[in-house]
Amino acid sequence: MQIQYLHWNAAHGWRGADALREPPQLVLYFGSREQLADGERYRELHALYPDGHIVGCSTGGQIHGDDICDDEVVAVALHFAHTQVRLVQEVIESRDASRACGARLASQVLAADLAGLFVLSDGLAVNGGELLAGITEVLGPDLPVTGGLAGDGTRFEQTIVGADAEPSPNRVAAIAFYGASFRFAHGCAGGWDVFGPRRKVTKAEGSVVVELDGEPPLDLYTRYLGEEEAEAMPGSGLAFPLRIHDEAEPNRQIVRSVFAVDRNARTLTFAADIPEGCTAQLMRANFDSLAAGAGEAGKQARSALADGVAGDKLAILVSCTGRRRVMGQRTQDELDAVAAELGEDVVRIGFYSYGEIAPPAASGRCELHNQTMTVTVIAEAAA
Amino acid sequence: MHRMLARQIRQSTDESGKVDLTRLSELVSAAYEESDCDRRRTDRAIKLMIEELEQTHQRAERDLRRAREFLDSIIENVPIAVFAKDARDSRYILLNRAGEEYYGVPREEMLGKTPDEIFPDSIARVVNEQDRRVVDSGTPMFLEGHRLEVGVHGRERLVNSRKLLVRDSAGAPQYLVGVIEDVTERITNEARISHLAHHDALTDLPNRSAFNAALDERLERAQEASTSFAVLSLDLDRFKEVNDVFGHPVGDMLMRAAADRLAAEADGAFVARIGGDEFMILMPDEVRREDVLALAERLVETIGKELEVDDYLPHVGLSVGIAFYPDDGVNAVTLLANADSALYRAKREGRGRVRVFESEMDQELRDRRLLQHDLRQALEQNQFLVYFQPQARVDGEVIGFEALLRWNHPTRGFVPPDQFIPLAEENGLIIEIGEWVLREACREAASWPRPLQVAVNLSPVQFQAGDLERSIHQILLETGLTPTRLEVEITEGVLIGDFTRALNLLRRLKALGVRIAMDDFGTGYSSLSYLQSFPFDKIKIDRGFISNLEATPQSAEIVRAVLSLAHALNIPVIAEGVETEAQRAFLAREACEEIQGYLIGRPDLIERYLDLVGVTVERRLYA
Repeated sequence: MQIQYLHWNAAHGWRGADALREPPQLVLYFGSREQLADGERYRELHALYPDGHIVGCSTGGQIHGDDICDDEVVAVALHFAHTQVRLVQEVIESRDASRACGARLASQVLAADLAGLFVLSDGLAVNGGELLAGITEVLGPDLPVTGGLAGDGTRFEQTIVGADAEPSPNRVAAIAFYGASFRFAHGCAGGWDVFGPRRKVTKAEGSVVVELDGEPPLDLYTRYLGEEEAEAMPGSGLAFPLRIHDEAEPNRQIVRSVFAVDRNARTLTFAADIPEGCTAQLMRANFDSLAAGAGEAGKQARSALADGVAGDKLAILVSCTGRRRVMGQRTQDELDAVAAELGEDVVRIGFYSYGEIAPPAASGRCELHNQTMTVTVIAEAAA
Repeated sequence: MHRMLARQIRQSTDESGKVDLTRLSELVSAAYEESDCDRRRTDRAIKLMIEELEQTHQRAERDLRRAREFLDSIIENVPIAVFAKDARDSRYILLNRAGEEYYGVPREEMLGKTPDEIFPDSIARVVNEQDRRVVDSGTPMFLEGHRLEVGVHGRERLVNSRKLLVRDSAGAPQYLVGVIEDVTERITNEARISHLAHHDALTDLPNRSAFNAALDERLERAQEASTSFAVLSLDLDRFKEVNDVFGHPVGDMLMRAAADRLAAEADGAFVARIGGDEFMILMPDEVRREDVLALAERLVETIGKELEVDDYLPHVGLSVGIAFYPDDGVNAVTLLANADSALYRAKREGRGRVRVFESEMDQELRDRRLLQHDLRQALEQNQFLVYFQPQARVDGEVIGFEALLRWNHPTRGFVPPDQFIPLAEENGLIIEIGEWVLREACREAASWPRPLQVAVNLSPVQFQAGDLERSIHQILLETGLTPTRLEVEITEGVLIGDFTRALNLLRRLKALGVRIAMDDFGTGYSSLSYLQSFPFDKIKIDRGFISNLEATPQSAEIVRAVLSLAHALNIPVIAEGVETEAQRAFLAREACEEIQGYLIGRPDLIERYLDLVGVTVERRLYA
């Protein structure tokens, strides 16, 4: 596998490393909604790589190498020696159709030599948990699926995904990799600390929590954030994700962050369903723990990558917008931690998302996460 | 240098190596801002968390306290003594209010102390032994209905007590929990209810169900051990009359006195009152036949002695029937039926007797039942006849007839009235039959050319039930018989019982014009007060006195006395059972007004007396 790294800014346009010797089959690009919405970046990339699939999404910040940036679009062009790449996409009609949408996507890519699936999805119009449930329903629990939900800074207004077209809302794209040579390693970790009393979700409707301990959840968040910060909900709510305790699977780590708020009903909408009656506990950030968590994700991915890789290795980092918001300038620390674990020989690109997709180390079953760092390493084995 | 500052400097340095100080200040300032924000958020979170945890803790404590108060209040108020002890040394650690009451000791004096420190040595030893046994074996203790050995209420109370072991989470003995329930009232009540169920309320003797149970048990035992025993069926003679004459309070006292005498005399036997004036005695095993008989005789004798009750001296007798197991029956039904047969025989033979069952008695009783059965059909099948016996002036002039009921049974022929009338009275058929006789007699009399009297007997049962007045009125209207030609004969039995009602009825009958005669005068109580209460139209002297006129001088005296009494009261007298001219002559001499008997004519179909009623044979044929 060969990688060409590129980046774009308003001042200089696209700049990057030397062109690949052979045309790439796949180009991935990440940028802010403003940078991508007019379709210009897509058209530029299509002109550069007319034979490759061009897939990208809006973000809450782009990761390139050791840095985070908001004013540059980042991209990688990939040429695979042996791996077959296929791009499929779906437009989702409504949040309720998420599971069916996932199942349709998976049906299109299903094949005996399917080796991995990387999903980029709209981050607001989709119920990520249901989308993944639909995918694993078809592909089975053992096929590795990673990816992320597109972001929109901390505005939570609109997210867009582009797959061989100008990016647009309500879109879900999946890149399927086929063949025995393809290597797909991943890691996922959070690093948040639970705090405060355990609370009961006394009333919930799907992903909307109506009452926590009999109290509107917005009141609880307002208390913890302070009036001033609460004005910035749902973005500021990312500082306090909820740890959900599943009685059936006590070891399962479920973390959900707020991504919509109804100030009249004083309810909060989370990234996936929260069952009524379950126990929830607030979480808070400790910068060192978060950085250590990110390092853990990098370590998992690296150690999962078998030896005998030929050519370049790409790490796609999908981290949560909530982490970036909480850590501020210290966000860099988590990228440093991942880099330290992955090593110098892995090219790193990625974005801050509204949801991360990866099988957690504990269960191995593909899931939607919030507030984690997920690392997907792709490579090809020597022929 | 701090890693972040190094990063900030790098980010503020351009490609030529020049540091943009403005950019650097912005980054540094923003970092401070972020740090402050994070600190504020953390501080706030910690503060809120402490508050929340504090609230949670308070809530948990309050819930715990409420739960504890709830349980305490339940245990405190449960009306059963509850205690708990340390399983190691039996030291009391809990005692509720009921427990204090049972032990009669305030809990302060019990809690924290061992049984040795609370109870006398003898009791402490028992308590400790029980406790050790429960702790060592792990098996609960349950003592039922025992006396409480300690405390103020102590020995008067019966309690159920339980003790059980409670183990700690590691399985080691931790507590001994005990409950003591006062069951004194329950046990007393159960005993009382059981006694009531098996005893007669009036005499406190065992009742019929208790007797049946005892008999069943005895039969079972006797069948296994091949023993023999006797069953006595007893009946107080004339008890009903005592009740009627003296009233129920006296009757009750008499019954109690009789029961006491029976129980005392038959000491060792099972004496039961099984109904009204009936008793049963179950004799012990293997009592010789002659001893059973001797006892029965003694019972008759003791009951026959005068019983003074409440200043009255009512006189009752006792009849006894005896059946022996296994000779007279091997099961309860047969044995009892045979004892009853023997009793029936004793009563029929004149009361105050003892009879042992003989096989023909069984037949007799069955026969009686059969007769009663046939009686029901007799009326519809026209088996009844009315006979007429002439009544005459003492000089021989016939002035009327007494109508007499006869039953011509299809297979038995004529059944004596003294056999079937009591049966008809028993089952109430007498009302229907009596009405039939009345109607027949009136219709017949109405057809006579000569306006002779017709006398009809009324049963006491007819007085007690049915509408006698209306039915007589109806019959007179139907038959057209002049009321003054009808005479009804009543016995004392009519007046005994509801005297006032009977008297009113008699008055109303008399108002219709019907004549009323007092029958069988001289037998029974012959209370003179009856003569005073009601203006009878006639008195009939019982045949017993007439037939004995020649044999016993007393009879003549009695007849004379009755006659003079009646004359003094202006009531005419008729003597029945006059069979000889000598009897008639005596009565004539004593100025008895009327006579009836074979001397004048036997009871017979009216056809025999057509000439007397003024019907010529021819006329009758064409009528």
